[in-house]
Amino acid sequence: MKLAVVGKGGSGKTTTSSVIARTLAKGGLAVVALDCDSNPNLGISLGVGDEETERLVSMRQALDEGEEAHAPTWDTLISRYGSDGPDGVRLAVVSRIDNPEPG
Amino acid sequence: MRLAFVGKGGAGKSAISGTFARYLARQGHNVLAIDSDPLPGLAFSLGLPIEYSPPIPDDAVVERKEGEEGPRWRLNPDVDPLEAVEKWSVEAPDGVRFLQFGKIKGDPRNLWKSQIAFRFVVNRLPPGNWNVVGDLPGGTRQAFTGWGNWAQTVLIVVEPTAKSLLSGRRLARMADLDPESPKRVLAVANKVSEAGDVDMIATGTGLEVVAAIPLDDALAEAERRQLAPIDFAPDCPAVLAVESLVERLSEERVS
Repeated sequence: MKLAVVGKGGSGKTTTSSVIARTLAKGGLAVVALDCDSNPNLGISLGVGDEETERLVSMRQALDEGEEAHAPTWDTLISRYGSDGPDGVRLAVVSRIDNPEPG
Repeated sequence: MRLAFVGKGGAGKSAISGTFARYLARQGHNVLAIDSDPLPGLAFSLGLPIEYSPPIPDDAVVERKEGEEGPRWRLNPDVDPLEAVEKWSVEAPDGVRFLQFGKIKGDPRNLWKSQIAFRFVVNRLPPGNWNVVGDLPGGTRQAFTGWGNWAQTVLIVVEPTAKSLLSGRRLARMADLDPESPKRVLAVANKVSEAGDVDMIATGTGLEVVAAIPLDDALAEAERRQLAPIDFAPDCPAVLAVESLVERLSEERVS
């Protein structure tokens, strides 16, 4: 299955997705939890801690900075830039805004 | 003053900025409240019955002429920012003027011209006429990426939760890196309920906490009823805390 959780800020998207991901993984499925927020904090709700959440390099940054010579496959991206969370959930971050841009 | 409220989604930016704008206007100031969130936000907290005021029309931006330099889209030279505010803002209670950019209603692909025009108008408002109170969308996308350039003071609304602290920390870091202007950046602690909450937010963000707004059921109830907190519960602790913040920043003459 491929499931996206959306909604207004503060409505509980991150918390809901983390519980869904952990529950599916506990049931024996291979789960990738994909944080698509440009202010990513799914790691905290999944239980990997805030340091690891901050440490994770987003896949987009990795590609922009040329760490990949060729377009990598989905599996490569997930294994190279993801992080293992509790219950075996694999966490990956799509994109993170770190720098201000002049208007 | 020109003040932008930023922070994680759900941190309480709209409720606080709406109350802030209303109370500032009651003190006799000209207040322009602006909302640059494509989702519903500030209108309810200001006490406006309408969710969608008319957006700035598409012809407020024009395309670059052939042979000219610079960005492809620009503000229509016929549009004066001050006149634009008079024309396209609506009146909220206490005399607050309310300007918002195009909301996601119908086809969102049609919104971008109105949104660009909004950004030009707000960034080019001459100083002196308006006290501007802005409610920015949650997260880090807008605050320091051209949408908050008009602000001289940025208030980061932070709850005492790990996710909110992380967002506050990121915003503080981006503010620090922002070459645009030496903005003043302060934290507002929201939904404070325990003794250590304010310290936790000060330490977690590295910012001065300029106000501590208590966790208050009256705010949640106001939201449920689509009413402005300042109308629904004018004497509740959270509203009073926002009013103290207005007084503090007015006295300091934070510009």
